[in-house]
Amino acid sequence: MSLNLKSLRTRFALRFIRALKKIHHQEKSFNKRYYKVKVAADASMAAAVGPRRAWSRALLSRARLGWRCRAQSRRESVECWRRKRMHGHGHARAAEGQGQGQAQAQELRSLVPGGEAMDLQNLLDETAHYIKCLTTQVNVMRGIVNCCSTS
Amino acid sequence: MGDDGSSHMGYQHSGEIMLNSTSSSMNARSMTLNSVYGSGSGSGSGSGWDPMVSLSQSGNFGASSMGSHGELTKSSSFPNLIENQGINNSHLVNYPSDPNLAQMLPKLPMFGGRNFPDIANHFGLPGAGVSHTPHALFPQIYGSSKSGLDEKRGCQISDPRAVGVSPNGKRKRDPESLSPTDENTEGDLQKDHLSDASGQKEQDDKKLKNDQNAVTTSSSKQTGKQVKENSQGDDVNKQNYIHVRARRGQATNSHSLAERVRREKISERMRLLQELVPGCNKITGKAVMLDEIINYVQSLQQQVEFLSMKLATVNPELNFDIERLLSKDILSSRGSGLSVLGFDQGMGSSHAFTQGIHQSLTAMPNSASQYHHMSQAVWDGDLQSLLQMGFDSNSNVGGLGPNGSSKSEL
Repeated sequence: MSLNLKSLRTRFALRFIRALKKIHHQEKSFNKRYYKVKVAADASMAAAVGPRRAWSRALLSRARLGWRCRAQSRRESVECWRRKRMHGHGHARAAEGQGQGQAQAQELRSLVPGGEAMDLQNLLDETAHYIKCLTTQVNVMRGIVNCCSTS
Repeated sequence: MGDDGSSHMGYQHSGEIMLNSTSSSMNARSMTLNSVYGSGSGSGSGSGWDPMVSLSQSGNFGASSMGSHGELTKSSSFPNLIENQGINNSHLVNYPSDPNLAQMLPKLPMFGGRNFPDIANHFGLPGAGVSHTPHALFPQIYGSSKSGLDEKRGCQISDPRAVGVSPNGKRKRDPESLSPTDENTEGDLQKDHLSDASGQKEQDDKKLKNDQNAVTTSSSKQTGKQVKENSQGDDVNKQNYIHVRARRGQATNSHSLAERVRREKISERMRLLQELVPGCNKITGKAVMLDEIINYVQSLQQQVEFLSMKLATVNPELNFDIERLLSKDILSSRGSGLSVLGFDQGMGSSHAFTQGIHQSLTAMPNSASQYHHMSQAVWDGDLQSLLQMGFDSNSNVGGLGPNGSSKSEL
């Protein structure tokens, strides 16, 4: 059985499974576990990708902030993002010059982490990579669920 | 004998045609050739080399009766061919019309090798000359390239060179490059010469285009794509700019040019995204495509949440890591083929899982525009069923079993 140890899938799977074990040891309430598993999924994905993508960087900083002081830092980070967004919007709108997909582009920015301050071109790049990584994530997690539930 | 005489005349005429090949146009050449050989059958370009095949397959041409002629077997094979009366013009009727024949002619002196006057003399000899030269020469080409298309490409590449830039230079080079040869290595050398010629031709073509670019101003004569290819080749020669040329009928304002480049980049990325998102092949238009992308990303994120909830309930075993990964690798190779439609099937037993694979695989051809609706419904159904299990403690691990089996009935 050949396992590509350096592939994104394997890196994510290892981190995520380790985090899962830890969470199951630590937390006993379902709600907290659910939340932590969610964060762990995102964080392990972002860590597996590394800091070379804007969305992974945003996720990592979000996860780091989230672990410590959730509410306050979220407010702060949102403020910071909003400021960037105002600044970024002017730039993005001037660069785009076309009103076709403005609303959708805005929504996409809200979906993709860290997409607030991006022009459309980079946003589409990040979206493509994000979709790829999301599908990997879904497949790995589904595999884990199947393994856990079958045995 | 009369046949010989007429064929002799015909070949001599063709020899003269070859001599004049550089000056005359290709059409004129092909026309005269057609008239000589009794009009080609009008076969497509794909069959251009068929006569060669038939010729090469048709018998052997015997030993050289006039071996004293010429230095090489190639040139000496011409007289061989003279003898064989069986091969006559009928083979040449199958020559395709215009371009291939015209292209083949410039090739002939190249392969016929050294001395062009020799070839003319050979052609002047009574009997079948031309019909056999291909046999002698072109099997070399067959050896060098696997398909007739490649040869054609080689011929076509050779053509502008022969017609345009420096045919004399090329013809001169032929004897120089091929002169120090043996019989055995001649084929190899011809192959090399082919590749060399084609490579040099490409370079020359590029240089031609470069020169043209340098000469012409930034008017709207060339297409953007051509220019972009040239600009990529130009990078070595010129500075590292990205030269963009305005297309025909478009504004040449620098702002609009930059705008156009940017728009093309964006549309290129949209195309990439189209491949990633399933079922978006027929969608044209930015807004609709963006909608689809947004829906897909949202559904993926929802799946992640759903799966993390399931994982929060399932208690993983202690000896988890490597064997899990190994077994998961088997499953994930199957699982990665599943689309969003099949995610709910993954619950419960492996029986349900394999069932889910079949169901999702059959469901995949359906239009994916429905997928998010379906996933929404199933998502709700799953949530409700999970909640119904009284799902607030760890004791519900076993509850997934019956839940899985009930899910498989969906």
